[in-house]
Amino acid sequence: MSTSMPALDTGLHKTQRQNKWWRRSIRNILLGLYALVTLYPLFWMFMSAFKSNADFFANPFSLPQTWNWSNFVRAWEVSGMGKATMNSLFVTFVSLVLTLFFGALTAYIISRFEFRGRGILYSLLLLGLLIPIHSTLVPLFSMMNMMGIFDTHAALILPYTAFELPIAVFIITAYLANIPKEMEEAALVDGAGYTGIFLRLILPITLPALSTVAILGFLRFWNDFAFALVFINDPSLKTLPLSLSVFADGFTTDYSLTMAALSMASLPTIIVYLMFQEQVMKGMAAGSVKG
Amino acid sequence: MRIGTARKLFVGFGLLPSVLLYAVFVVVPVFWSAYYGFMDWKGIGEARFIGFDNYVEALTHDIFWQSLGNNLIVVAASVFGQVPLALLLALLLSQGTWFQRFVRASVFMPMVLSSVVIGIIWSYIYQPQIGLLNGILSFVGLEEWKRAWLSDPSIAMWMIAIPIIWNFIGPYLIMFLAALSSIPQELNDAAAIDGATRTRRLFSITLPMIWDTIKVAIVLCISGSLKAFDLIYVMTKGGPAHATELLASYMYNNTFNVYRYGYGSAVSTLIVIISLLLIAGSQILMRRNNQ
Amino acid sequence: MRRNWMIVLTLLIVVTMFAGCSGDKGATGIKSAEGDSIKLSLWHNFTGDDLRARTMREIISEFEAANPGIKLNVQAIPPDGYRARLKTVAAANEMPDVFIMWPGAMTKEFQGGGLIQPVDELLQANAAWKDGFLPGSFDNFTIDNKVYSAPMSLTPTSILYYNQSILDSHGVKVPQTWDELLQAVRTLKAAKVTPIALGNKAAWLAQSSILSSLADRVTGTEWFIKAAAQEGAKFTDPEFVRALELLQQLQQEGAFQEGFNSMDNTQMEMMFAHGQAAMMIDGGWALTNLTANATPDAIKQMGVTVLPAIADGKGDPNTTSGVVGVGLGLSAKTEGKVKEAAHKLIFAMSGPEAQKRTLESNQLVSYKVELDKSKVSPIFSKVYELVNDIQFTPVYDGMLTSAGADVVNNGIQELLMGGDPKAIAAKIQEAQAKSLGK
Repeated sequence: MSTSMPALDTGLHKTQRQNKWWRRSIRNILLGLYALVTLYPLFWMFMSAFKSNADFFANPFSLPQTWNWSNFVRAWEVSGMGKATMNSLFVTFVSLVLTLFFGALTAYIISRFEFRGRGILYSLLLLGLLIPIHSTLVPLFSMMNMMGIFDTHAALILPYTAFELPIAVFIITAYLANIPKEMEEAALVDGAGYTGIFLRLILPITLPALSTVAILGFLRFWNDFAFALVFINDPSLKTLPLSLSVFADGFTTDYSLTMAALSMASLPTIIVYLMFQEQVMKGMAAGSVKG
Repeated sequence: MRIGTARKLFVGFGLLPSVLLYAVFVVVPVFWSAYYGFMDWKGIGEARFIGFDNYVEALTHDIFWQSLGNNLIVVAASVFGQVPLALLLALLLSQGTWFQRFVRASVFMPMVLSSVVIGIIWSYIYQPQIGLLNGILSFVGLEEWKRAWLSDPSIAMWMIAIPIIWNFIGPYLIMFLAALSSIPQELNDAAAIDGATRTRRLFSITLPMIWDTIKVAIVLCISGSLKAFDLIYVMTKGGPAHATELLASYMYNNTFNVYRYGYGSAVSTLIVIISLLLIAGSQILMRRNNQ
Repeated sequence: MRRNWMIVLTLLIVVTMFAGCSGDKGATGIKSAEGDSIKLSLWHNFTGDDLRARTMREIISEFEAANPGIKLNVQAIPPDGYRARLKTVAAANEMPDVFIMWPGAMTKEFQGGGLIQPVDELLQANAAWKDGFLPGSFDNFTIDNKVYSAPMSLTPTSILYYNQSILDSHGVKVPQTWDELLQAVRTLKAAKVTPIALGNKAAWLAQSSILSSLADRVTGTEWFIKAAAQEGAKFTDPEFVRALELLQQLQQEGAFQEGFNSMDNTQMEMMFAHGQAAMMIDGGWALTNLTANATPDAIKQMGVTVLPAIADGKGDPNTTSGVVGVGLGLSAKTEGKVKEAAHKLIFAMSGPEAQKRTLESNQLVSYKVELDKSKVSPIFSKVYELVNDIQFTPVYDGMLTSAGADVVNNGIQELLMGGDPKAIAAKIQEAQAKSLGK
């Protein structure tokens, strides 16, 4: 690498190094600006959550005139967010575990085994990426009624998992395609079973891909409105997105309460994202050491 | 073939849960919905079989084609905007310094927020009287560039494509970062010692190594763009006068507002078919490029 | 070969599912009378924090407390998703016992599908209550002389709200005729004041609030009823095209602020409430927002009137377009004791006492009640007085089929962007005729 070269302090090298320094600074400034632009909505949401409605409409981009902490209390109480948060956590967690486990297993089998129907299975899964979910509402509703799982958390967990499987299989398969098979073959020679290889080798290796899937899945499950609206009747089973939409009545929207509720609801997603992002990075570090 | 039976058992039992879940909750509803597409049905009462009439009507209706055209704008913007930008960011952010981690986390933040927040904030950026964009234009003295960005049908669709690109870069960035991490460092080092420039290394090592991930990203981009719904729904509701109508919003409107369930189902089946064609096309193109 | 086999298998699964669907209707989501207490399901959309929603929720809890023998299963569904939700259960024929239902198109669809039953018995048993409703209240809930619901509110959709102090400071008086309105627009425009705030992102607004009244002024009500039914009148008739031209003229004179097609009605109401526009043409629903967000001084400056008269129009100028609001629908499957309980609930939620309490929570009702003005905001009582003096005319989306109304909504957006009135009228005619099967 050029920087580790012995420094022959000639003028030429100095300008080169200065050039490099300039380039890096400009790059970092641009990156920093981009980061600020992407962070702004988060900041804006929290600011708006403190405003009165009049303030929100008059000055959408300025700081709140008065800091209305009561917005949060009212939003929490009116929308019944406490119970809904617990439901969302449960549904999201179970769906996520199922998605990750079955997604990884399917991806492993598809990318490492030859069997009849492999191509068809993979193409059918691809099809799943293309389905606009609103078109499946009525058929799914009728089916769940027949199966007797309507109005239970299973009515959310099962379709969530099923609809997230394609993307999970897709991402993990693509990731596995770049991982050399030698280690698995060695393990096989050592007498490890396929289940063992999957649990002890594949799951850890694919951690970056799994974390990507987990982040996407978490966001999808946590924010889903359509399924949660249609497949759950019992108020005590409702998930968060439903309770967040109570502030719009078709004619008027109470923007400050909506923002307050959304701010509270987005906290878990931010935490989960930061957590899994760390995993993606750790996996990357491990990958480069190993490779 | 010593362990043929174990192999078969593992493949069979490993795939069973995923296949079952997927078949019941995704495949069946999709075919079911395609079947409704052959019906003249308001979603209530008697359904009448009318053959291909709904499909013919959609394909001869100018709003369907307008929506498709708008969708293709979104597809193009995503494939040629989102993917390269995410790749560029991934290349720039592949080291783990705190600054890079901060930028990485920020790029993903719009995804973490509900599309309601993103939709509202972008509406305010484009708002003609008190919006940020017009404000900046007056500030720098470009008064004549000011515009009602979302009301002008000739530009509204492009204006909406910007937040769509910006919003969904995060997942692609993570996918690319994960893929980049799986490239063995020695390859790059060896090439560098051989005197290959950075650009040269990018095109002859990095890109080929992550080509599968790029393909996956493009498939996801196309399918995601054709399902795009939420942001449009919040920002313009498909208006003015269908200027920003997308296939998914057109389908939703027909199904749940205009009481034409059969027609809406036919449109959603067409969405799936169109996505399939586009994805197949993109795969063929990329295969050729790759050689 | 294998591919074919897969397709056959998938089809087989699909076919079996259908067979299953037509046969077994046993496991349904909503069960009726079981055990000794009567189970009754109720769906409503009063989920918000506004006064009316809170009042309605109070009435429901009081009903539960007063009727321990009836076990209510209450579903409060956010208004954003309410229609989609109801549509889905309707498609699967799984209606709740009692639910909020819209007059006009929705009632017709549900009745046509055999999903609802009339409430005539209940109305006849309470004659005094029935007579308390304003004339025409049941029209949009009535099919073949059977009444399917009683309205819980009344919504004038077209009120001209004005800010007296802005008008005064520019020497403009409240417009009584179309020419005065145009003159006012020119004067205000010249003084760089937005004459009329408009938020037409959800495209029904200009249709319900402006076109419905404006077109009625030009064509007369009779013409519209005929055109909506496609019997003896067409939307391509010159009088309707003229109504569209007038609306376009308003826009061309610069009456509305820039970007009106991408703002929602809450934003437009805020503009007006904060004195950023001299006038606003909006429905009775604006009252909630105005009351909550304008300062008391600003509210004092607000006045209300009807849309101005059109010189050679056939319609009565002293009218506003308006609809009765939602009512409670009764599922066709509800019978016996459950039905009795349902009647009780409907009466509790839309009977005389409930109507009075609704009115006192700043929501007009289609029922004769004296308003205690100390209990409501001043702008609300002004609208209350205005509405008592005038007649109601039909709202476009209340009379048209949903497909027809959709084309009108989008057509108006196009019109306000400079579209050709004749071409738009032709599209409306085509859609309405087609959806009626004519």
